[in-house]
Amino acid sequence: MKKKLKKLVNDFSLGELRTGLKVTSKEFVNKKITVQFPEERTPISPRFRGLHALRRYPNGEERCIACKLCEAVCPANAITIDSEMREDGTRRTTQYDIDLFKCIFCGFCEEACPVDAIVETHIFDYAFESREGSIIDKKSLLEIGDKNESAISKARKEDSKYR
Amino acid sequence: MEFTSILFYVFSLFFVGSSFVMITSRNTAKAALWLILTFFSAASLWLLLEAEFLAITLILIYVGAVMVLFMFVIKMLDTEESTLRAQFTRYLPLGIFVSLVVIVQMALVLNAGPFDLESVGMPEQHGASYSNITAIAQQLYTIYVYPFELAAILLLIAIIAAITLVHRTQVNSKKQNITEQINVQAKDRMRFASINKKSKKESK
Amino acid sequence: MWQSFVELTHQLIPWFNGSLADILIIVIKGLALIFPLIIMMAYMTYAERKVIGFMQLRIGPNRVGPFGLLQPFADVFKMLFKEIIFPSKSNIYLFLLAPILAFVPAVAVWAVVPLGEDFYIANIDVSLLYVMAIGSVGVYGIVLAGWASNSKYPLLGALRSTALLISYELVIGFVLVTVVMVASSVNLNTVVERQSGGILNWYWIPLFPMMIVFWIGALVETNRAPFDVVEGESEIVGGTHVEYSGMPFALFFMAEYFNMIFMAMLAVLMFFGGWHSPFEGIPFLEGLFAFVPDLIWLLVKMSFFLFLYFWIRASFPRFRYDQIMRLCWKVFLPLTIVWIFVVALMTQLGIGPWF
Repeated sequence: MKKKLKKLVNDFSLGELRTGLKVTSKEFVNKKITVQFPEERTPISPRFRGLHALRRYPNGEERCIACKLCEAVCPANAITIDSEMREDGTRRTTQYDIDLFKCIFCGFCEEACPVDAIVETHIFDYAFESREGSIIDKKSLLEIGDKNESAISKARKEDSKYR
Repeated sequence: MEFTSILFYVFSLFFVGSSFVMITSRNTAKAALWLILTFFSAASLWLLLEAEFLAITLILIYVGAVMVLFMFVIKMLDTEESTLRAQFTRYLPLGIFVSLVVIVQMALVLNAGPFDLESVGMPEQHGASYSNITAIAQQLYTIYVYPFELAAILLLIAIIAAITLVHRTQVNSKKQNITEQINVQAKDRMRFASINKKSKKESK
Repeated sequence: MWQSFVELTHQLIPWFNGSLADILIIVIKGLALIFPLIIMMAYMTYAERKVIGFMQLRIGPNRVGPFGLLQPFADVFKMLFKEIIFPSKSNIYLFLLAPILAFVPAVAVWAVVPLGEDFYIANIDVSLLYVMAIGSVGVYGIVLAGWASNSKYPLLGALRSTALLISYELVIGFVLVTVVMVASSVNLNTVVERQSGGILNWYWIPLFPMMIVFWIGALVETNRAPFDVVEGESEIVGGTHVEYSGMPFALFFMAEYFNMIFMAMLAVLMFFGGWHSPFEGIPFLEGLFAFVPDLIWLLVKMSFFLFLYFWIRASFPRFRYDQIMRLCWKVFLPLTIVWIFVVALMTQLGIGPWF
């Protein structure tokens, strides 16, 4: 009986509604946790797998030797490689295409690569203006690598002790 | 021409026009909408006659409640033309008879002595300070208080009758008991079972 | 040429002196009320997003202009340039009439709202009844939108809202009856004037339960969370708004916000003393706050209620349809009827400064 009366008083004094309003009013003055994306960024792990890149040796020679291990290991069949013998007798790629619509960013290509040529950078905010734009070719992959070489090598170095 | 006369003719035009379209409209929903316009025009005409309480009550009750319920019903209706127009000829004689009766009644009323348009004359023009609602209230709660109370009791009886008609408990009804639902507490629904260590080991 | 023009103006002068000038003044008065209202409505959407954002630990719009202050205009222009899509087999005339029918009453109710002492467009004797009547016409927007869209979710939303609005109009009507009993007038101006003399003379004290009932009823009447079953995004996608885009949708949106502002205004006028300062009659504070104009007091009080709208929206989950109905018929209606008796008793005994 007493319990029932208590509940009645609580109901008619809008007890539960007051609890709800109290919670939201407390959060209203709390510090906001939104990250203002283009200006502020959340920290990224060195193992983050973003947009792909092809690296070069310090002397400017491209690393990729067209072994096609990445093409073989790619679970989404996103990589297409064609190769030929260069004038100096080394094997190099003539075509290295990655379809980013197919790619699932698993990082197997990076793991499979014997010469650390194909890597995944920390770039994740990219966009295409047409459907064809999703396929990035060797030239642009190398460009991405050249542009971000310092960040790539830094991430690799940071992660090297756990490999 | 005075401005109020212009308003009168405009509203009358709307009134007659919309009521005509209402009865000739094939689409029930559109007919209901035209009826609403008719009510609005009638309310405007009453406003011109300084009967603002009546005008606003007309909008409040007929437009705001009754016609909404009409629309509610119309939405549920099957508005197939053929079913609506079936047996048109069967009801035609009755319809003609009813409309004739209405016309005769109106003719009688408008020509009879005390209701004659001439003998009734124009309603008295009041100033801006005249309050229609005060006048009605004074009449209603002094001279006519007894009929007023009787009407209220009649309406109450009608409400109770309507509720009792609907309120029969159905045998196989699967309706939800909301009171029970909202009175449920977390501890009624959740039971903390203590599992002793022995049985835990056994399960492993 | 000039001669005939002069003659024409001479013929028109009596007209201008008489009716036409009156109409012109009324039109100008109306526009002077509607434009601030539209700006207010635009910034209410901004305030709503900010307040709800803050309550959810977010920041809310802050990209367009400083602090996102130009966001409402960006939204307006987006709406203006969007394509208006007519569903096939829908009734185009009724489809377009629906948003207009929703919007016009939402604006028309403002005609009788007193914004200060002798500061109104129309001071009619039955203004509370007028408010009820015109407010009830707003249902047709939703009803027609549901019917004319020729689509199932709008129809469901319209059905829900019709039943809901009719039920809650009853409750709000009873609340208005109590207010009328205390103020012994159906004129909003008089209702406010009777509340003069400080915070203790306002009607929220003798009508405290009615105030809460009215506010919950106002939430239902304006289809706001937690009673927004008309839209019910998670249940019926968007209710009556599903088929609408561009400006017709914007009209619905504006009607909703106009109604919100109006309901907040009505709550202030009926229970919180309208434009009166809360410190009237208190020796020291009255003089201290004497410089604040009436309109500011009114707007401050109204803003609190608008904030309450957002606060409640951020706090509570949506009610189930049948529970709202139960709340109306089994809780609010008996409560209001009981309180009518209580108010009648209080009036007879002459308790407090209110009667």
